[in-house]
Amino acid sequence: MAIDWQQYRCEEFHDELFKAPAQPRAAAKQLTDYLDSLSTADLAERRLAAELAIKVMGVTFTVYTEGRNVDRAWPFDIIPRVIDRREWEKTEAGLKQRAAALNLFIQDLYGEQKIIKDKIFPAEVLADSVNFRPQCKGMTPPNGIWAHICGSDLVRGGDGTVYVLEDNLRVPSGVSYMLENRLVTKRVFPELFETTNILPIDDYPTQLFDTLAAMSPRQGDEPNVVLLTPGIYNSAYFEHCWLAQQMGIELVEGPDLTVGDDDCVYMRTIYGPRRVDVIYRRIDDLFLDPEAFNPDSMLGTKGLMRAWLKGKVALVNAPGAGVADDKVVYTFVPAMIKYYLGEEPILPNVPSYLCMDPKQRKYVIEHLDELVVKPANESGGYGMLIGPRSTKAEREKFKKLIEANPRNYMAQPTLALSTAPTITDEGIEPRHLDLRPFILSRGDSTYVTTGGLTRVAMVKGSLVVNSSQGGGSKDTWIVDLENDMDPKSLIQIQSQSQSHKKNGNGNGGKA
Amino acid sequence: MLSRVADNLYWFGRYLQRAENTARVVNVHANLLLDLPRKVQFGWTPLVEIFGSHSSFHEHYNEYSEANVVRWLLLDAQNSGSILSSLNSAREILRTTREHMQREVWEKLNDLYFFVQERGETALTRSKRQEFLSRIIDGIQLIYGMLVSNMSHDVGFQFLRIGTNLEQADMTTRIIDVRSSDLFSTMSFEDLLPFQNIQWMSVLRSLTAYQMYRRHVRIRVTGASVLRFLLQNREFPRSVTYCLNSIATTLPQLPNNRPIERAVDRTRALVHDANLEKLLEAGLHDFVDEVQIGLGEVHAAVSEAYFRL
Repeated sequence: MAIDWQQYRCEEFHDELFKAPAQPRAAAKQLTDYLDSLSTADLAERRLAAELAIKVMGVTFTVYTEGRNVDRAWPFDIIPRVIDRREWEKTEAGLKQRAAALNLFIQDLYGEQKIIKDKIFPAEVLADSVNFRPQCKGMTPPNGIWAHICGSDLVRGGDGTVYVLEDNLRVPSGVSYMLENRLVTKRVFPELFETTNILPIDDYPTQLFDTLAAMSPRQGDEPNVVLLTPGIYNSAYFEHCWLAQQMGIELVEGPDLTVGDDDCVYMRTIYGPRRVDVIYRRIDDLFLDPEAFNPDSMLGTKGLMRAWLKGKVALVNAPGAGVADDKVVYTFVPAMIKYYLGEEPILPNVPSYLCMDPKQRKYVIEHLDELVVKPANESGGYGMLIGPRSTKAEREKFKKLIEANPRNYMAQPTLALSTAPTITDEGIEPRHLDLRPFILSRGDSTYVTTGGLTRVAMVKGSLVVNSSQGGGSKDTWIVDLENDMDPKSLIQIQSQSQSHKKNGNGNGGKA
Repeated sequence: MLSRVADNLYWFGRYLQRAENTARVVNVHANLLLDLPRKVQFGWTPLVEIFGSHSSFHEHYNEYSEANVVRWLLLDAQNSGSILSSLNSAREILRTTREHMQREVWEKLNDLYFFVQERGETALTRSKRQEFLSRIIDGIQLIYGMLVSNMSHDVGFQFLRIGTNLEQADMTTRIIDVRSSDLFSTMSFEDLLPFQNIQWMSVLRSLTAYQMYRRHVRIRVTGASVLRFLLQNREFPRSVTYCLNSIATTLPQLPNNRPIERAVDRTRALVHDANLEKLLEAGLHDFVDEVQIGLGEVHAAVSEAYFRL
């Protein structure tokens, strides 16, 4: 027996797979029993097979370091993270609720600003927002949807509560890795898919395409949908290609597009210009259109904003949607849910302190060594202070930063993030993780991915899960226990396939 | 079809073809040297000539030793035409056009690229070289096979074909040019005879044409007949005429194809009308230059019509 779950120390934090040492949670039991049945050599072989699959499949991400881009193999841990379907359904409902409120909020901010007039949301937060685009005022995109695609980060605290850590509404990435992780797991542990009722996730590209196509300004025709990428040097370029390929749409770069005198967007083809209806843009607002925003942008296309404001093209997510993707605005989401929907939030926020409030600021500055301080508008885990791990000099620096620009900072207690068993150089150990599901909003319906992308901090004790900073990932299983399949013992199936191999007539072979 | 994508598919075809031809030429050359008497060995210089990279070779190496030339052609990242560089360029292109080719192509190309990168040093030793080069050739042929059998033969595929055929025509003329030039000028006529045959056979082998030549031509290997086969044969896929005919068959699927058709026709006529016996006595080099200019015009016409919009 290779894995001794008795030795797996899961008591310190909430563990996703174990409720106590050697006591797996119901949804994870088949998985942990199965892992238990593997020898050390088996496990090492599966791990190697996964590494090879990732390399051959070319699953990479790009890190910008020391002034150059390096393509790295996607870091992946083969032990999946398991969530019970019954629990997931509640999370899913919470995410839909949140996405609905966020879209109403953005529409309101660019329209009547009722939430400010009703004194729920402070005008000064909006005044200082770097992601508010005055160019969008008065605009109503199709169905009033601004954030068609939202990637919300979820974490689980010590008591098992799932919190929303942040909502990514600009150009959230990671969904391709979620889907690739599943493909790798299927290659590595095909046996488990026979015995465990793992809900499929591969519907996403179809759902995304339908969402995009539904935004087309030209009804009737087959809409021409394209994905606009900043190009090969973007860290998410792999994902851009991947999604375009899965959806069968053109992957375009800024210079491939032009905006005509009729304010319509065209792409340059070998047949001449062809009209574009929907642009799934993976370029930040400010680089989208040198005419409207950053005049030095080489990535965008001149006139895109003009075309969008005239309703000749759909931009997804809409420009300006990022106004709600701000760690200070985040703290108001529970209030938005009550204000717009008249409902209680299903998923709680992580308790937060706003530095713009003098009392809360004082508390933050006095407790810097306990808190995580985040700037309002950074992503990828950059520009943060993790109090318990900080040096005195770093804390001094943040004190000055906060006092100079209190609106730009918020703080949260250091969460006791949940863990899951992860293969490390020191054996199988608990590592902290989070979850990023993706929510697609069309106006008439909302879709949530089945699970999401689980990111795991590979370094012992670390809470930083970003792949750009040494994070890894896991496949995420939503397991349906109620509609379970024939509960054949896994061990039985495994021994069967082995005897087939010996007889030389099996078609299973190794993973 | 985006102009940028068409451009990329075209170059993808070219880079793959370049890598494959380079592998073949190096392989055949090594074998040829084994057959020649030591005193007439012309060494590894002609290989650098074939790929037209003399001056940049000189910037990085002092002598045309076997190790230097092989490294330069196979592995050197500073040689934009080395096998590793060509595969890398093809890979960079595939990244940006991945959605146009099935993912297995990407997997195979990645696999091949990593193989060359990781195992390239072994090719510097003679005993391992042939196996290494064979695997490259096999790998590229596998990718072609996948493209031809699994990719829709849509307009994008036509750009791939144009690139592949133009590169092959170019490579064939280069090999003819260098190999037929006075390799043996230092030898007397009597000394030369036994080896002349070997020389032309190596030309054929560099283009995997030996067997097909034998089946078609049925006379002993002579300079004029080899030239005729490699320039004018309509059935052998690496002959210049075949490549140009292939390009011509893509044109009905492409819009605004008149300028390309004209350039192809001009070059075809040039090759077709050549008096090869006469050229062998004098003027072959200038003739090959002319053909290459013609191929360059085809490239320019394609690029003008579809890529620079």
